[in-house]
Amino acid sequence: MKFFDLHVHSAFSEGTSSLEQLASMAKELGFSGICFAEYYNVEEHIKKLMTEIEKAKGKVGIEIFLGFEARNPRELSALIEKRKRFDVLLARGGDLKLNRLAVETPEVDILTHPDYERTDSGLNHILVRLAAKNEVAIEVNFREVLITNGRTRSRILSNMKNNVMLAKKLHAPIIISCGAISEWELKSTQELISFGTQLGLELDEAKAAISRIPEDILSKSSERRDKRWIAPGVKVIK
Amino acid sequence: MKNNLKILMPTLREKERYVAFQVISEDSITYSDLEAAIWNSMMDFFGEYGTAKTSMWIVKNLYDEQNQIGVIRCNNKSVQEVITGLGLISRLGDVRVTIKILSVSGTIRGLKIK
Repeated sequence: MKFFDLHVHSAFSEGTSSLEQLASMAKELGFSGICFAEYYNVEEHIKKLMTEIEKAKGKVGIEIFLGFEARNPRELSALIEKRKRFDVLLARGGDLKLNRLAVETPEVDILTHPDYERTDSGLNHILVRLAAKNEVAIEVNFREVLITNGRTRSRILSNMKNNVMLAKKLHAPIIISCGAISEWELKSTQELISFGTQLGLELDEAKAAISRIPEDILSKSSERRDKRWIAPGVKVIK
Repeated sequence: MKNNLKILMPTLREKERYVAFQVISEDSITYSDLEAAIWNSMMDFFGEYGTAKTSMWIVKNLYDEQNQIGVIRCNNKSVQEVITGLGLISRLGDVRVTIKILSVSGTIRGLKIK
């Protein structure tokens, strides 16, 4: 079984470790591939990141993907225009407007921590139903729990449980990721699976959240990047 | 009268699981720091009652200081809880660490084979 972590920040955005450090730790911890979710600033950013990723791929020997995390609706629309040039499009949740926009947009792959800096879970049955319809995965971010404690951690866990319950009931895809900003925040695949089971996922659902669902996202993305692709289910054959 | 109890029959005993893990750290660590961090992490996350239900015990004599490999014993229903608790350790004192789960088995012999 292949395992993927689709939400890791390197020093290119808010992270503190290099691509290589993160990729080699991910390999050590049992991942078959990781995706660097960076912030989009300028056009050269994509080219520079792609070159760095190619270098790291050769050295480390795991699959490395490029993703961008939109922090506001303006960034999201700019990234949708360039959607064919990178692998994964993430939307940073927390703001209700962006949460709504993300689940309504089929180009978005993952809505990251929808409850970010909120007292509520950031999602309701309407938003989760939209996420299921548009195949936007709802993320469970391990780092949020790792760096907090006491009342804050308890509130975050409660919000995560709510989101997991809704996603399970309404058949929206769930993804578990480390959300790491340094290689020391990366966790082994077993730990992420166990964490998923604590939030109400069955063991096979928790495994799917770091294997089958990320794999589906990546294969959908590679299909989309094909020159012959026109729309979901439509491509030029001849 | 003898001071120790007669051992329970196998059918009445709790079923055990052994979790082998490796500590990946930026600097060398001590066993006492590791033990304290594991107990603190479990107590913080599951509380006293939750930790008691796991029947967790760190097997001191199986700790390999050179490779930083340790073994935790728990009951068969609490493996996921113990692994989650290990995942929530990010520091041992001032040293940044991450824990890699190596294997889970019903016997220590099984762990060694795996």
